[in-house]
Amino acid sequence: MISCKSLSKNFQIHIKRPGISGALRAFVTREYRDVSAVKSFDLDIPSGEIVGFLGPNGAGKTTLIKMLTGIIVPSSGSAIVLGYEPFARAVEFRKQIALVMGQKSQLWWDIPAYDSFLLLKSYYEISTSDFNQRLNELTELLNVQHLLQTHVRRLSLGERMKMELIACLLHQPKVIFLDEPTIGLDLVAQTAIRDFITRYHALYGCTVVLTSHYMADVEALCSRIVLILDGAKRFDGSIESFEGLLGNEKYISLTFDKEARDSNPIWEELRAEWNEQGTRVDLRIPETRLPELLGTLLQNYPVSDINTEKLPIEKVMRTLLDKPEMLKS
Amino acid sequence: MAVVGRYLRVYQQFLSSSLSEAMSFRAHFVLLIVMDSLFYLTTLLSVGFIYDHVELIGVWGRWEFLFFVAFMLTIDQIHMTFISQNFWQFSRDIVEGKLDFLLLKPIGGIFLVFFRRIRPATIFTLFIPWGTLLYCGIEIELSLFSWLLLPFFLLLGLVLLVSLEILISLSMFWTYQSIGINFLRMQFQSVSRWPDFVYRHYFRKVFTILMPVLLIGSAPVHFLIDREWLPLVGMFLAIFVCWVLINIFWKLGLRRYESASS
Amino acid sequence: MSVLVLEARKWAQTMSIAFSDRLAYKFDFVLYVLGPSIVFFFIKYNLWVSIYSYQTESVIKGYDLGMMLQYQAWILIVSFLAQGHTSLQLAEDIRLGRISSYLLYPFSFWQYHTAAFFSLQVIQIFVATVSLMVLVLAGLLPVNLDLLIQGVFFSLLVGLLWFAFQFTIGLLAFWLEETWVLRVMLMLVAQFLSGAIIPLELYPDWLRSLLLYTPFPYLAYIPVKIFMGEYDASYLQTLLILIFWIGAVFMLARFVWRRGLRLYSAAGM
Repeated sequence: MISCKSLSKNFQIHIKRPGISGALRAFVTREYRDVSAVKSFDLDIPSGEIVGFLGPNGAGKTTLIKMLTGIIVPSSGSAIVLGYEPFARAVEFRKQIALVMGQKSQLWWDIPAYDSFLLLKSYYEISTSDFNQRLNELTELLNVQHLLQTHVRRLSLGERMKMELIACLLHQPKVIFLDEPTIGLDLVAQTAIRDFITRYHALYGCTVVLTSHYMADVEALCSRIVLILDGAKRFDGSIESFEGLLGNEKYISLTFDKEARDSNPIWEELRAEWNEQGTRVDLRIPETRLPELLGTLLQNYPVSDINTEKLPIEKVMRTLLDKPEMLKS
Repeated sequence: MAVVGRYLRVYQQFLSSSLSEAMSFRAHFVLLIVMDSLFYLTTLLSVGFIYDHVELIGVWGRWEFLFFVAFMLTIDQIHMTFISQNFWQFSRDIVEGKLDFLLLKPIGGIFLVFFRRIRPATIFTLFIPWGTLLYCGIEIELSLFSWLLLPFFLLLGLVLLVSLEILISLSMFWTYQSIGINFLRMQFQSVSRWPDFVYRHYFRKVFTILMPVLLIGSAPVHFLIDREWLPLVGMFLAIFVCWVLINIFWKLGLRRYESASS
Repeated sequence: MSVLVLEARKWAQTMSIAFSDRLAYKFDFVLYVLGPSIVFFFIKYNLWVSIYSYQTESVIKGYDLGMMLQYQAWILIVSFLAQGHTSLQLAEDIRLGRISSYLLYPFSFWQYHTAAFFSLQVIQIFVATVSLMVLVLAGLLPVNLDLLIQGVFFSLLVGLLWFAFQFTIGLLAFWLEETWVLRVMLMLVAQFLSGAIIPLELYPDWLRSLLLYTPFPYLAYIPVKIFMGEYDASYLQTLLILIFWIGAVFMLARFVWRRGLRLYSAAGM
């Protein structure tokens, strides 16, 4: 469905120096710096998969998506989406893809969302019956029927995002690119949108490429993760193998009746982090030694409460961003 | 044929959305009408005042000259209503990266970019330029043949103007400093609002051949009044060359487009 | 003493930033600031040369071709000296709600925009000087130091009047989404009523007499006449009237600002 080989994109960034002399100099000459936004990217996404692109700001995720949708032309390498070369921008290709950007709106600001939908209906040549049926279904799933006649600028961020999603799905695209769809939304709206994407995907089996900074989005939706750092692919695999990147450890926290901190070498071994009073400790215990170590601790210390948590994906991300050398693949 | 039908249906949506949007801003609606009316009046009055003191400029007397000016203002009125806003929107869209969404739609990019927005307010300013055009036409005793050709020529002038403006606007893909290009475009338009014989030899050649803005008004009106047909041929040629260049530079511009990051 | 120094430093820094900002877009600068005036002059130059070439008499209402072209050339210089400023940024500051930051800074909205105006004037004076040299070298304008000084001084004051007009219009952003329409209307009315398109002598007598009671001739006609050494009335008296108009429009601006601020804080924008 989506495949790229050695896909690359370079930009030239104009350097401006501050102050009056800088301004005068810039008036006469221009200085440029070459930036490599995407470096020799290889990727294969089969039909029907939901893939998450992860990475810090400026990593190249959005640039990659823009190349896959045909918005910008690659500097080198090739990309094939739905059998088309995106930059050729064939009309049939454009009818089968959709893009939603969390930070940019495609709806007209000063007219009701419904009017923007009618505009899209005419672009994509959707029949009136199809249009009505799909609109009903989508607005029901997202619970926004009552907002169709409201001017887009009067909608809350969450409501607007729902309208953006409807706008991109009216033509039933086969591939959907979602670039930070939940950014800036409150928890309720985020959950609603996640649920909606899951339901829609289950109903229609489209391919979804999602970028997000919220790990909750990724955990809820994606079966596969592609980690992008500095324009290069650093990880490509299932979400489980991503979580297991730092080894399989359990994150355990023990609460004690009274101060329990002592000089037992086990605390250092398990990378213990104590609270101030010494009554709570966070430990990292390898999965294989869990029963043995936990048993010992329970026997020798006045434990009043235990909490276990698998190392969440967020912590993996943070660690990797801190120490990217841990990635070997 | 089906393609034309489809584009017409899309254009109908453009009209409907633009109208809906304009209705939310009533003060702006009224102010646009006042602004354009002021523009037309001050231009016509200025020419009128000059003719209070001279008999002829070139071979044209007061009413011929005013006919020409009214012709250009009529084109401007149609332009203001159906095209103008898109150029400003295009410059904003390029800088803000909003062009992305337009490029994804399964419909011609140029059509979508340059014809999407309409200003319903300025339809109401038509009385001044159209009225003056009709009045002057009567004063100069335009032949029936010329009267019949008039609407067609207005459209032709508009087509050349818009073609040149689109070509100029495409340079925004390279300069990114889009407001300046829009002003450049408007400067060319103001040059075209005066008859070609007003300009000194060298400039007249430049603006007739290199950047043929003078053909917009002078070519049709010279035919209507003086029966000169050569400039008209030049006009058709200019339109053709324009669209060849537009096709080339649109494609090149898209390759250059970097889409401001979010 | 140190308070004065601190204040001066704020002004200097603001002016420096406004200066850099303006120069940052060199292409825009040429087209947006210089372009319209130069093209306007270009069109009028061609127009009048061709009008005179087709006439039998060579004098129209007291102007021969040389004087008419001088008139138009001075209009160009005056437009650089006096009409460079636009309240676009000011209006945007209001529209985008940036006023709140000004209310917090120890450098007010008025001070900021006035400082920006002064820094722009520096650029405008430079441009006017270069244009003047070009026009003198081209033989269009004579050099008369006396008249030059009088004219430049007058024009710079007119710049303040224009700034006041622009400021007032910009403030209407408190009530209107888009104020560009008003700015264009101001420009159209100013150009027409100030004699920038054609000299006021060519206007019907009744209209000309009426206009002299308005501030508009001060924007172009009067400073041009001063440069040409053809201004009959007392220089001092004219200056005083100009200062009166500047004061009047600034008072209007102040009034609009207070009303606007009230609306702004009431709406909690």
